[in-house]
Amino acid sequence: MDPFESIKQTFFQECDELLTDAEQGLLDMESGTADSETINAVFRAVHSVKGGAGAFGLEDLIRFAHVFETIMDELRSEKMELTNVVAKTLLRAFDVLADHVAAARDGGQVDEARSSGMLDELKALIGAEGMEDEAADPDEDFGFVPVVLDLDEPGGFVSLDLPEPEAGLPVLEIPAEPEVANGVWIIKFAPGADMYAKANEAGLVLRELARLGPTEVTLHDETLPALDLLSAEQAYFSWTIRLTTEGDEASIREVFEFVEDDCKIEISREGGAPVSLETEPAEEISDDDAKARASAEAPLDLDALLARIGAVPTVEAVAEPVPESTPAPAPAPVVLEAIAEPEPVAVVAAPPPVIEEPAQDVAALIARAQTADVPVAPAPAREKAAPAAASNTPQPAAAATIRVDLDRVDRLINAVGELVIQQAMLSQRVTESGLARSSNVALGLEDLELLTREIQDSVMAIRAQPVKSVFQRMPRLVREVADMVGKRVRLVMDGEGTEVDKTVIERLTDPITHMLRNAIDHGLETPDERTAAGKPTEGVVKLRALHRGGRIVIEVQDDGRGINRPRVRGIAIAKGLITEEAILTDEEVDNLIFLPGFSTADSISDISGRGVGMDVVRRSIQGLGGRITISSEPGKGSKFTMSLPLTLAVLDGMVVTAAEQTLVAPLSAIVESLTPRMEDVHYVGGKDAVIRIRDSFVPLIDVGVALGFRDTPIHAASGVAVLVESEAGGKAALLVEAIQGQRQVVIKSLEANYQQIDGVAAATILGDGRVALILDVDALVTAQHRRKPAARSEKRLAG
Amino acid sequence: MTSDQTLAALSLPPVLDLQAADPLRAELLSLRGRPLQVDASQVNRLGGLCLQVLMSAKKLWVEDGQSFTLEDPSEVFSEQLSAFGASHFHFEPEGEVS
Repeated sequence: MDPFESIKQTFFQECDELLTDAEQGLLDMESGTADSETINAVFRAVHSVKGGAGAFGLEDLIRFAHVFETIMDELRSEKMELTNVVAKTLLRAFDVLADHVAAARDGGQVDEARSSGMLDELKALIGAEGMEDEAADPDEDFGFVPVVLDLDEPGGFVSLDLPEPEAGLPVLEIPAEPEVANGVWIIKFAPGADMYAKANEAGLVLRELARLGPTEVTLHDETLPALDLLSAEQAYFSWTIRLTTEGDEASIREVFEFVEDDCKIEISREGGAPVSLETEPAEEISDDDAKARASAEAPLDLDALLARIGAVPTVEAVAEPVPESTPAPAPAPVVLEAIAEPEPVAVVAAPPPVIEEPAQDVAALIARAQTADVPVAPAPAREKAAPAAASNTPQPAAAATIRVDLDRVDRLINAVGELVIQQAMLSQRVTESGLARSSNVALGLEDLELLTREIQDSVMAIRAQPVKSVFQRMPRLVREVADMVGKRVRLVMDGEGTEVDKTVIERLTDPITHMLRNAIDHGLETPDERTAAGKPTEGVVKLRALHRGGRIVIEVQDDGRGINRPRVRGIAIAKGLITEEAILTDEEVDNLIFLPGFSTADSISDISGRGVGMDVVRRSIQGLGGRITISSEPGKGSKFTMSLPLTLAVLDGMVVTAAEQTLVAPLSAIVESLTPRMEDVHYVGGKDAVIRIRDSFVPLIDVGVALGFRDTPIHAASGVAVLVESEAGGKAALLVEAIQGQRQVVIKSLEANYQQIDGVAAATILGDGRVALILDVDALVTAQHRRKPAARSEKRLAG
Repeated sequence: MTSDQTLAALSLPPVLDLQAADPLRAELLSLRGRPLQVDASQVNRLGGLCLQVLMSAKKLWVEDGQSFTLEDPSEVFSEQLSAFGASHFHFEPEGEVS
């Protein structure tokens, strides 16, 4: 893959994580459980998204994130009060932000009206004052003062003949500058070649500095050779910047955030001693505060970020701003900065303190330590030193992750699957060979079996992911649906950490989405109705995930009106789904809503009635080998429970024998099994068999014939009928010779290894090494209507 | 140095970033020995490396005793020069900061 693309992908992956964090923080802010750290965390997340977006020139995203970030900044500096209105607006703005990210990733378009409307809302929150910065900041404005020219003096420097702000003279053309009693800083900035190589630009740094206050930039080009001796990628220039700002050192350091490893930086107060690492006494101050304040005073420059586009970043260039990936240079002295201290910034060379902060903060701290180090090329040395003290450094778990290509994991899983099969075969061979159970071989084999299982579990665990990735999209959905139907809803999520196989996760979104929509649209009452019923106006929808009996269970529960059983029944009768005389239990009535074509909404609403009903949900869940049930209490709410296998790589199956073949029927499709009685079997038109099961007739399919293993059906009474239900709800009885039992089998794709066969979903390998076909119940049931299997010879696979 | 004294002209590309630096150097070197007019009207981004190349080229031209002029700098070019503290690079008569 194009390295640029892959970096971009990484960025978007990280965006997902950042957005998740931000959303969680915003939700906390809305619920009033947020503290200043939460607000900081949201700020940082949005800031990071913006920073990354800058590297890729995602202008719309940057613009939106910038305004969002400004608000967060106001909030954390307590210039703005966090009210519920603000929190709610931010949540909606967050949705637009997420849209921008998605649009940038997938190349789609953001709803312009919505985005700009939201921007206006946000700006309204801040008021004119807060956005002054931006207003005064046209796109390509460098914020620098035009200079007195010093012509034809290549070796010389330019002094921006600026009057001192203290002298009371106006400072020209510096947008939105603070006019407070400013400090004057002398910053020496010498980029290394690496800085450029990582697509960072000295000009941007200078420009960002200029945003902090009036600057006088002096270019040192003394080392610049004539062109014939010049290496185009070497860094020759260095700069001395005289900056007048009300910001503190931290805010200046922040400007160098992305480049600090690859350049020399020296910051000092005018007339003061330069900041150097080892000499100054320690002053312990919360890093985060310093950072927060610094950033508040020096919001990241949108234009500067924009200008970063175009240069091709190397892997490091992009990886750099991402704090997670920063190696932990444990023994590097940690800089603890005084906020707005008039004294030179204090620095201490000491082992890092225990930091109880999220990963990003640790990284930020480390990054800061590196800044203060002012090394030419300090990174390698530090990295070497790192392992020594690594054990002392508290490393948050989040840092200890790697991203692995899914394909590699799948290969591993496949290999382990083979291992399991091989191990089972070996066991069987040993048993067959008549070795005593207490023999060394048999004992060793048992150990091997334990080990194999452990490996298999561990490997499956690699693919397992928390359902968080699905759950995290739901708060937004709930907000939007609630807005649309005019209801007030609080979503309570539980068990986001519950893990399930990735393949399952990917297919969970639709059913959960649908169930949530349904719960809000149909389940919950309007605020007025709720008040009338003596309930709080805000409805509660709970989304919960848990493990139960080797499956994952997802529950969607609302505290709404519950299922209106008489009405459901009425509709079912009206739609001819049940007869008027049918006597149904409450549970059976509730489950009527899963019948195809059933929809209780009087009018097809925009939300849940998109021409699909709960039957679709049920079908998709069944497609995953899952089940869905509903329980409901009138006036108190309903609960949908779906239970799914933890993985699609293994399957619970009923092992059956048909025409001497061993076949597996997916357990999820099986309703019941029974021994047919001859008087229940009838032949339609003299040949198509149907069997009467209680009050209904279902087709009786001889599996051996259907798959072409034999031509003549067996005598019904000599076999076993397995009643199955297809995903579409069609029922049929599969006639087989015998049932061997239930077993968990590893699914092997037939398409990948051979080709697709009608009536066969996949294959598996049994303990004795033989291939067993897994029946495709759906295909068998539908094929029954179409008829005629292919010639038998081609179907002999197993054996 | 062969010096046919024909005036050479070079139009700078719009983006003078990391990637442009080496090609720019090569291109400039190929024009060595002739008075050079560099057109900066199209520039909308000037990076530090390319600035080095340009200033270094000027140095060489000066050493060679040839003229090196910058024509019609775009607004952005001028602004970014100032940002680099390199406005003096606007040498020669037309080099007026806009």
